Amino acid sequence: MKVEVLFSEACNLYGDLFNMNYLAASVPEAEFIYTGFNDVPAFAGEKVDFIYLGPMTERDQETVISRLKPYRERIIELIEQDVVFLCTGNAFEVFGSYIETDEKRRIDCLGIYEGYAVRRLMNRHNSLFLGTFKDAGQNSREIIGFKSQFTHTYTDNRKGYVFAKTRGYGINPDSEFEGIRMHNFFGTYLIGPILIMNPYFAKYLLSLAGVAEPKLAFEKEAFEAYEVRQKEFHDPKRSFDQ
Amino acid sequence: MKKCKFFVAFLMGKLSLVAIKILSRFVKKEGTTLPGNIVLKICPEFLKYIGKPSRMIAVTGTNGKTTTNNMIADVLSMNGYKVLSNRAGGNIAAGIATCLLRGVDLLNRSRYDVAALEIDERSSKRIYPYVQPDFIVCSNLSRDSCKRNAHPQYIFDFIDQNLPDRSVLILNADDLISSRLKKENARVYYAIDRQESDKTEPFNIINDVRICPNCQEKLVFDYVRYNHIGHAHCPNCGLESPKPDFHVTSIDETAKQITVSEKGEMQTYPLVFDSIFNIYNEISAITALRSFGLGHKQIADALKKVSVVGSRFSQDEVKGIRIISTMTKGWIAPSCSVAFDFVANFPGEKEIVVMIEDTDDNIQSSENLCYIYDTDFEFLNKPDIRHITVCGIRAKDYLLRMLLAGIPREKISCVREIPEIAGTLTVEKGVDFHIIYDLHQMEAFHQIRNLVIEKIKQEG
Repeated sequence: MKVEVLFSEACNLYGDLFNMNYLAASVPEAEFIYTGFNDVPAFAGEKVDFIYLGPMTERDQETVISRLKPYRERIIELIEQDVVFLCTGNAFEVFGSYIETDEKRRIDCLGIYEGYAVRRLMNRHNSLFLGTFKDAGQNSREIIGFKSQFTHTYTDNRKGYVFAKTRGYGINPDSEFEGIRMHNFFGTYLIGPILIMNPYFAKYLLSLAGVAEPKLAFEKEAFEAYEVRQKEFHDPKRSFDQ
Repeated sequence: MKKCKFFVAFLMGKLSLVAIKILSRFVKKEGTTLPGNIVLKICPEFLKYIGKPSRMIAVTGTNGKTTTNNMIADVLSMNGYKVLSNRAGGNIAAGIATCLLRGVDLLNRSRYDVAALEIDERSSKRIYPYVQPDFIVCSNLSRDSCKRNAHPQYIFDFIDQNLPDRSVLILNADDLISSRLKKENARVYYAIDRQESDKTEPFNIINDVRICPNCQEKLVFDYVRYNHIGHAHCPNCGLESPKPDFHVTSIDETAKQITVSEKGEMQTYPLVFDSIFNIYNEISAITALRSFGLGHKQIADALKKVSVVGSRFSQDEVKGIRIISTMTKGWIAPSCSVAFDFVANFPGEKEIVVMIEDTDDNIQSSENLCYIYDTDFEFLNKPDIRHITVCGIRAKDYLLRMLLAGIPREKISCVREIPEIAGTLTVEKGVDFHIIYDLHQMEAFHQIRNLVIEKIKQEG
């Protein structure tokens, strides 16, 4: 498995980059390529199996858009070839139509999916999320996670979402569905150690990236921690707004 | 009309201060920001009209605000100034309003010569349009709670967009984030020269200035102290850390003094604090006070008398075995990394108990643990750390994090309840106990400390 981590020098907020350390520990034979802002992405000239982009500052979103714009067609091609993309936090917004700022300025994005994000810097949204997804065997699995963001995305994602909401918020406060899914492109507002906290989801993504019967690092401990948290997230007394 | 509102607010605020003074005889807790909340509710522009001392110094930044502001206030007081300070109150707009309200007479005339104000970074927008300090110290900007402060760039913009034009900025040249605040303002830089323990490659998980802010080229660190604090330059466009006007050239821990170069001239000051973080606080206070106009001797003499309040670690000894307690701020990755680094580098064999989770959050909701993957648990992977007990509702999350840091499974015990810790500890002569705890969980800390003491008494 070849993994390309995009712009990790900037897109590394909220501990998200450790998801890649977890993949590296789980698949020791995997090759990791860390592509910087001033590098040509590896995916431009070769096939990679897994592309990761983590959360970033609002200013860095504009830099990321400018760096990825020349490769827009190639990204579409890779998505259509079922390459796995994982974009966490505000990272997936750069693949949408535009981002509307507080001053109503429109930041044009890559336009790979139809949908726009509305940013309100004085209104940080913090919440928990509990939802479901279907794994490779079509089993329904639960996902648990955190959100901490200035933006919400507006689009009809009913036919292409990452998680169906059980508790918390979808891609915007009125949505029942979280994230954007196109083929194996997964864009989600969940932040932090999403793969470490969700062993079923980590195994699912690895299987999509071509790892046969994936086994996670410290899998037993990961499932134990997941089960403790999962139980809490089902407790109706726990607040999901933070 | 606005003036009218102000006078109503002023009257109500003064009455609330009297009421609080009377109530405080019966109730221990003072409602320190209540008057401020009242006056701002009645008159949102209260801070504009309230009387202020003729001279003001403010301190902002992620870490070290309280220590630095208290030091500035103490040194000024010892030099005969009548100092108004919010040390006992809040640092948001309501806290500043309460403080200034306390400082004026019934004719709205300030009764003080100078104000030393600690100001919350996120409150910049509500405070600086009306309160325009002569000097503003910004200690540093680094990652804080992601739920409140998002990331350092966000806080930078908050401060940068609201700093008054007239304020002279006192900035940390070793911090490539805060040193770039409001470039058009007059500024004085301070720093600490390269130390033996400094490295040349960033070694923390968090480094928020990996690339040049101008051209995105990877920065070269001439030395790095922790996170992004150090001296860096860009090999592409030439950007580099600013040259300091005041810099600590040497730290003499034996003589308990620091030498400061002030525009080429060397002066010595007492070493008030033990750690590099607090030496930054001291040099920032010295720089602010010299810029304010105090002489070197006035500052040095006063610093000799400044009392160190609230050290980050304490030490007990039971039957010849040391118990070293290190406080950190849970939620804040750099703070936890500093605590882990401190404990890991403490000389000698050690057994560690870690409880840094937010118990309240875990009862009402479920704690967001993103920060533990920004925290350097890797520091705890050392041969002289014999055993680690991790405790709390989130213990299994911490266990997983420690395993991913390379700490062998057999070295870690994972318990949910504090009393269970006793069964995991081994008392042995020559092995210290270390407790790493969150500053908001004092009750849990005391329980753990007492439990360790009892264990040593029984088995030591």
